[in-house]
Amino acid sequence: MHLLVQSIGFGVAAGAVLSLGAVGFTLQFGISNVLNIAYGALMSIGAFLGLFMLGLGLNIWVAMVLGGLAVGACSVLLNRGLITPLVRKGMQPFGLVIVSVSAGIVLEYVIVAVAGPATQSYGNLSGATLNFLGWTLTTAQVVIFGIAVLLMVGLHLLLTRTQLGRAMRATSSNRTLARSCGIATSRISDIAWFMSGTFCGMAGIALAITIESFDFTLGSIFLIPMIAAAVLGGVGQPYGAMIGGLVVGVVSSVSSAYWDPAYQSVVAFGIIIVMLLVRPRGLFGSSSATRKLLA
Amino acid sequence: MRKALVIPVVGVMAVVAGCGSSTPSGNAIKPGPINIGVVAPFSGPAAEFGTLISAPCYAATDLINQAGGILGHKIQCTPVDDTGDPADAVPNVTRAIATISNFDLAVGLETNTAATTVPLVNKAQINMVTTNGLTNYDTTTYKYFWRLTPADDANGAAMVQFAYNKGYKKIAVVFENNSTDTGNTPGIEKAAAKLGVKLLTNTTIPADASSYSSVASTVVSEHPQAIIFDADPQSTATFLSNYSQLTNGKLPPMITATDSLTPDWYQAVSKAVGTNFIFNQVDLVGSYFSTTTPAFYTYRSALLANPKTHALADTLASVGPPASIYDGINVMALAMLMAKSADPTVYNSYVNQVVTPKSGAVVVDSYAAGKKALAAGKKIQYVGVLGAVTFNKYHNFAGAFAAARFTGSTTSRNAAIMPGSEISKLLG
Repeated sequence: MHLLVQSIGFGVAAGAVLSLGAVGFTLQFGISNVLNIAYGALMSIGAFLGLFMLGLGLNIWVAMVLGGLAVGACSVLLNRGLITPLVRKGMQPFGLVIVSVSAGIVLEYVIVAVAGPATQSYGNLSGATLNFLGWTLTTAQVVIFGIAVLLMVGLHLLLTRTQLGRAMRATSSNRTLARSCGIATSRISDIAWFMSGTFCGMAGIALAITIESFDFTLGSIFLIPMIAAAVLGGVGQPYGAMIGGLVVGVVSSVSSAYWDPAYQSVVAFGIIIVMLLVRPRGLFGSSSATRKLLA
Repeated sequence: MRKALVIPVVGVMAVVAGCGSSTPSGNAIKPGPINIGVVAPFSGPAAEFGTLISAPCYAATDLINQAGGILGHKIQCTPVDDTGDPADAVPNVTRAIATISNFDLAVGLETNTAATTVPLVNKAQINMVTTNGLTNYDTTTYKYFWRLTPADDANGAAMVQFAYNKGYKKIAVVFENNSTDTGNTPGIEKAAAKLGVKLLTNTTIPADASSYSSVASTVVSEHPQAIIFDADPQSTATFLSNYSQLTNGKLPPMITATDSLTPDWYQAVSKAVGTNFIFNQVDLVGSYFSTTTPAFYTYRSALLANPKTHALADTLASVGPPASIYDGINVMALAMLMAKSADPTVYNSYVNQVVTPKSGAVVVDSYAAGKKALAAGKKIQYVGVLGAVTFNKYHNFAGAFAAARFTGSTTSRNAAIMPGSEISKLLG
């Protein structure tokens, strides 16, 4: 029982990071309908920006915010410089996926060119170990979980209580109708890409803190679990992605405690398949969002 | 009259003999240098390995060229990027075989891709000196396969022997889920059974997970006296950090393989759990060779002399597989001299003659010394960095093992030596 409780705690800590990334991923997809595989490379850029800022003597949490904002800007540039022009030229969603895969590879090797291929580390920033509710977590894990919760709540308030949030939801729901209602959809799209990139960059830095060492492949490695979390929660649904991330984290952790850890991903993804068979739209998904993904 | 008949007959015989020695892959030597294909990852996450494995090739070829080359040809190392991924390795190696002139020797062919690259190279009738540790090559019948490093199961047995010698009777075993690391497991299980060492957790972990806390928690609950562990730098750092989180910073002694002696591993692990742990609690088990022999001195000097390998000299001088490539290239080069041919289909049958002890043979510890002795009409026995080499009928050689401790970020010193015969008994 102790192991089960502990594993759930470990899973929540790991899932919080996944949630952070998954929310950013699904937010951008929900607004722009582009499956952005370069998201992984942007996450790696975030981790390396964090390293650079630590080198300048900044506090890691300040670096996390600044790094996130910087990746947000990169994300907008990616959209404005590459994705939007191709969408205007009528490129189909599958073509855009390939373009984003290519952009991701190019960005990864830009990192290699600048920072080299070697493994990097922020050093041990875990802080003191905290024991509560049978869970054993580090201070850093607790802070990251807190940041994730704060961002989720903030995002919830933004989407439900502000004019901007309503415009974002309207754009996500029906872009053409939103534009005809006077919403500047391209500006909304920029904001979505910026927010998505900010979440992505922060997730990259949170991940680098958690796993202690990383290289330029960091984002690519964790992209699939993040996409899985987003799909599990319901495509285009930020709350769903948050829950999806936690589910992936907890299931992976618990399964590795009781079964061969080598198969922890198999168990997590197996459960996702079963859940999607039962509920194809994901936990919080709408049919329109699912149709978007399949379009 | 008789003379006139003899000349055409000799001519026909020469043509027939020439046809007999030609090879389907066109390995007969052409003008230009002899190429050694260094089959290793030169791009992607494992690119560091390509750099490490090329260095002994540069050392050996520098010395061979300084000694006048082979049969009037210079020799050079040519990278063949297998990316560490079998899917990329097959087209890349196939292309290299088809396009590289005088591709008469391949080295590297590491574990991740060996299952696909070794058969390709063997089919092309190119000799290879491989560093892969796959146990299925312990009894290979591939004619052109040569290995001077122990298979992974032998390394696993050596890890347990070392643990036993240190007095550890309860150990946990955690490996990354890949063929290189899990190849140790059969040897570990056999050796533990024979030595009466109790294996607690004996499991594998996926690479690059965001957390190994659940596995670490299981290991911690069993209170191992030591842990046998091998994984990539990132996974190792994450696991140790997770473990340390559960034990308020206390970590058990770790026994790992010498492939952890890399700048990446040191960098990742030292940042996660500190250098004190690395210097005082980590033992690296791998093949042993003496660092006081003239052959070692020549090898290390060559590494230091080349700007491409200078910075890696101390790291490489501590690890078996690179030394096996250096020795392997010397053995093959001397076999070419003996055979008077760089064609692998010809010189392959001379490889054993280079290393086999025989009466009246001059013991040589370098290519230059071997070339000189052969030119003087003497028999030779090459005894290089790894010491005397005896290939079994499967072209495998596994010498003694050593456990080493880190002395710097990329250097180590031997702390214990285990005879190869002792390890073989554990696997028998």
